[in-house]
Amino acid sequence: MTITCRELAELLIDFVAGELPPEHHQRVEHHLECCPPCLTYLETYRMTIQVTRNLPCQPIPPELIEKLRAALKEIKDI
Amino acid sequence: MSSSLHLSLIRPAAKIKKRLAQVTALPPDNPSGILRIMEEPAPTKPAAALTPEKVFTDYAPRIYNLARRMLASDVDAEDVTQDVLLQVVRKLDTFRGESAFPTWLHRVTVNAALANRRKKAAREKHQLSDPLDHFLENGHHNGPIRRWAVDPKYRVLEKETHQLIERAITGLPEIYRDVFVLADVEGLPNAEIGEMLHLTLPAVKSRLHRGRLLMRTALAPHFEEVA
Repeated sequence: MTITCRELAELLIDFVAGELPPEHHQRVEHHLECCPPCLTYLETYRMTIQVTRNLPCQPIPPELIEKLRAALKEIKDI
Repeated sequence: MSSSLHLSLIRPAAKIKKRLAQVTALPPDNPSGILRIMEEPAPTKPAAALTPEKVFTDYAPRIYNLARRMLASDVDAEDVTQDVLLQVVRKLDTFRGESAFPTWLHRVTVNAALANRRKKAAREKHQLSDPLDHFLENGHHNGPIRRWAVDPKYRVLEKETHQLIERAITGLPEIYRDVFVLADVEGLPNAEIGEMLHLTLPAVKSRLHRGRLLMRTALAPHFEEVA
């Protein structure tokens, strides 16, 4: 049984996690072989995950550092 | 059929197979090497006891970043960071040197962020749009899907690209943003996220998937190759 592009999109989270049952996995792969837009959709879905994971930690604003240091000092002084 | 015509018919299929092999060969969803913001920094010497100073230096930026991404507000993130840091420092004796500390810190931060949000009178009023509705009735895509001109393996992305991704996260509806940030930015397992947010595993996966699809839609215009 074939699947539509929308049905494939619904299965992507399990497909990229390798958690699809074999028969579904096969249907997805078969659809991807015949459907370049879905292949691109899958590639960009994966890229979305990967670029997000590369996000760095933003530095804390200097004013907040001062506030936190003052609060810590208060605790130590108690 | 001439051999050149035969080749021209075969090449696109071969190309698709090659791309499919590349995509399916990528590492799974939660490779061990991903950046996890609350993860204990790799020790270069025997683990030091947790002191208020160490918590401040090593964890305050991580608390701040998680809160900022969940709340989409610098001011609220500052309040939450202060609350969490003081709460943690007061209970530090309980966690001296224990490996459970990062997990506990995640929970305290998530709870504080959710409490901060509950206090706010102004809730999101816009309708949730389902990215899966962006398909035609016959199940086909409702427009062209273009490839992206970004190398996902390039770990040091431009500052502008970081800002673009941060803005897209901020634009996610809260129910998708919480799960997306905890799963894809923090790298937490879905089961742990479910416990933190009191959601079933299918609910976590459904929200994460929709969050990713909305992020894809938001990033696409910036990353798509020029036609």
